[in-house]
Amino acid sequence: MENTKTAPRPRLLTRWIAALAIGMLALVAGAPASLAQGSDSVEGKTFVIGTDTTFAPFEFRQDGELTGIDMDILNTIAEEEGFKVEVRSLGFSAALAALSANQVDGVIAGMSITDERKKIYDFSEPYFESGVQMAVAKNNEDIKGYEDLKGKTVVAKTGSEGETYAKSIAGKYGFQVKSLDQSATMYESVKSGSAVAVFDDYPVLAYGIAQGNGLKTVTDKVPGGSYGFAVNKGENTALLAAFNDGLAKMKANGEYQKILDKYLADPAAAAPSNFFDLVAKSFPALMTGLWHTLVVTAASFAIAMVLGLLFGFFKISSNIVLRGIATTFINIFRGTPLLLWAFMFYFGLPQLLGVGISVWTAGILTLSLNAGAYVAEIVRGGIQSVDPGQLEASRSLGLGYGKSMQKVVIPQAFKMMTPSLINQLIISLKDSSLLLAIGFTELLYQGQQIYAANFRVTETLLIVGFIYFIAIMALTKLANYADKRFNK
Amino acid sequence: MSNVKIQVSDLHKSFGSNNVLKGIDLDIAEGEVVCVIGPSGSGKSTLLRCLNKLEDITSGKVVVDGFDVTDPKVDINEVRRHVGMVFQHFNLFPHMSVAENIMLAPVELKKMNRTEARAKALELLERVGLKEKADARPSSLSGGQKQRVAIARALAMAPGIMLFDEATSALDPEMVGEVLQVIKELADSGMTMVLVTHEMGFAREVADRVVFMADGVVCEQGKPEDLFGNPQQARTQDFLSKVL
Ligand SMILES: Nc1ncnc2c1ncn2[C@@H]1O[C@H](COP(=O)(O)OP(=O)(O)OP(=O)(O)O)[C@@H](O)[C@H]1O
Ligand SMILES: [Mg+2]
Repeated sequence: MENTKTAPRPRLLTRWIAALAIGMLALVAGAPASLAQGSDSVEGKTFVIGTDTTFAPFEFRQDGELTGIDMDILNTIAEEEGFKVEVRSLGFSAALAALSANQVDGVIAGMSITDERKKIYDFSEPYFESGVQMAVAKNNEDIKGYEDLKGKTVVAKTGSEGETYAKSIAGKYGFQVKSLDQSATMYESVKSGSAVAVFDDYPVLAYGIAQGNGLKTVTDKVPGGSYGFAVNKGENTALLAAFNDGLAKMKANGEYQKILDKYLADPAAAAPSNFFDLVAKSFPALMTGLWHTLVVTAASFAIAMVLGLLFGFFKISSNIVLRGIATTFINIFRGTPLLLWAFMFYFGLPQLLGVGISVWTAGILTLSLNAGAYVAEIVRGGIQSVDPGQLEASRSLGLGYGKSMQKVVIPQAFKMMTPSLINQLIISLKDSSLLLAIGFTELLYQGQQIYAANFRVTETLLIVGFIYFIAIMALTKLANYADKRFNK
Repeated sequence: MSNVKIQVSDLHKSFGSNNVLKGIDLDIAEGEVVCVIGPSGSGKSTLLRCLNKLEDITSGKVVVDGFDVTDPKVDINEVRRHVGMVFQHFNLFPHMSVAENIMLAPVELKKMNRTEARAKALELLERVGLKEKADARPSSLSGGQKQRVAIARALAMAPGIMLFDEATSALDPEMVGEVLQVIKELADSGMTMVLVTHEMGFAREVADRVVFMADGVVCEQGKPEDLFGNPQQARTQDFLSKVL
């Protein structure tokens, strides 16, 4: 299932990143995950567990609550064994990266137990036996089996068993395999006709079909791997033992079968009946997302302004060292993708520092440093666009450099900078959506969570897009109003 | 000549390899009005800007109002409060009203509180004939009015010396007169002044002494009637034949 690749190992990060990280240490105020390691009893402890975002019926959001087979099993075991869990839905690869970085204690994410993974993680007893099945669009009468796939394209999830299986028979039946990242997007491409069939885990398919994802299964399931709960090798042994113990008890007392039936035999239709129902159902989660988007953007932009002013002034300084520092800062953060830093701060930095970093801290660091580099250039440009005669006139009156800057140059520079700053603010707001990759619960992330559970991809994205549009329009209007008000 | 107000000895100034001032000696007495003339690029502006250290001095000595400007320990901001400067392009602060332009230095340098500074600004504006423009923005003024405000601003710290760098060159001809009138009144009030100018008629009228610069040196200097009426140097004669 899912990735057979190993998750990135931050241990391999090179030295220069370490140097950089130390420079940023001052900015870091992360709350470490509650990492209870190597203790004897789990009772009364709280463990941080990472999981996927979009793997219904194992984990998905329903009315804002994280639910699914994995969640129910985890919660039942936790209750049985007397420990608490704090679940972070990060996405599959991100959850594994977080485990390696000790940002989480364990991962439960519909993850197959493979020999490859066993080298890095310790797995619980299997808690689910899976298998691959093929599905096509509901109205497709042409594809009834693998023989009908000749010359066609099918989709499978990147790194999943479905992909492995599809590839293993692709030559024999003469079809192409295209790999995608999420179940929901795979189903969309089958419905839209860009692929004729999807190979996916049977429970996932079964659940999606029950939710009205517009597909039907056409082959028998091919027995496949089994899912397990994972901890870092040699760590959290008590947690693992408790998981196994609880699982055995659940299987014995019938709780386990009840959970499977709930999601697989007769899943309640979670999908809203119409568009307005969808809007109404998804609204609370999307508003939480919007709020997080706005807060992370505002906090980051405030820091970016401070950084931008500082480095913008360094950039025009006559001191070659300060200029060098500013140029380096600007080039590093303008010359590298935002997403790279999000991963670096969330997965890499905790490994280097030995303390956990909250997703908020990582998100704000990422956005503020990126925007700070652009703001520095805006500040430099703004100051340099002020007639040098202005500074000379002020200096000739006997005002010092600082006072002259403050009273004469900066007010004029700001006036010229305002449109660019508003522009950068909007870019930062949109860029904050990239933080979904580290599981930051912003607007687009909430949208993904919603369509991962109900498979209404297009409509959900439309709603999300509309909210972004309105938010940005409002922000632009507000900024322009403030500009007129203060920069007349 | 009584008190020496400005003392320039063997002043050199170069921009990189470009030697602009090549050994200037010039003493200016208190209350003296000196006009500096000369061809474009001869270093007139550079000389003026060395007097209040808007340009770093390469070598030589400049003493202004008792302060050794070339001494690295001198508080240059303190020196500049004794020296007002008026620029060719006015350099008024566009984001402030006319009165605020004038009040900036007295208020920021804590010489006066805002009320006093405003009263002083109005007094100065009255002196240059622009009292009614106190609350206008500089952008709404004509060139001549802007330059008169700039003069009022330069006077706000009550300097003992005023420097003018082609104060009328950027003005439409019909506005030159009003600015020259203000400068002339200042000269008559006993202010020590150094004016770089292309207005030969004005120089002849207002100056106690005219300095002719060429190629980074003082080529010839003297009373206006001597220098304009009977120039000794060939370069001076050549220059004057072109501009008069
Ligand atoms: N900041 C500077 N950097 C480099 N060179 C400069 C600078 N300022 C002036 N110069 C050079 O110094 C020389 C003298 O310039 P300056 O402005 O003093 O001449 P000027 O006599 O005032 O001429 P004008 O009548 O055209 O104003 C010119 O060759 C000019 O190019
Ligand atoms: Mg000049």
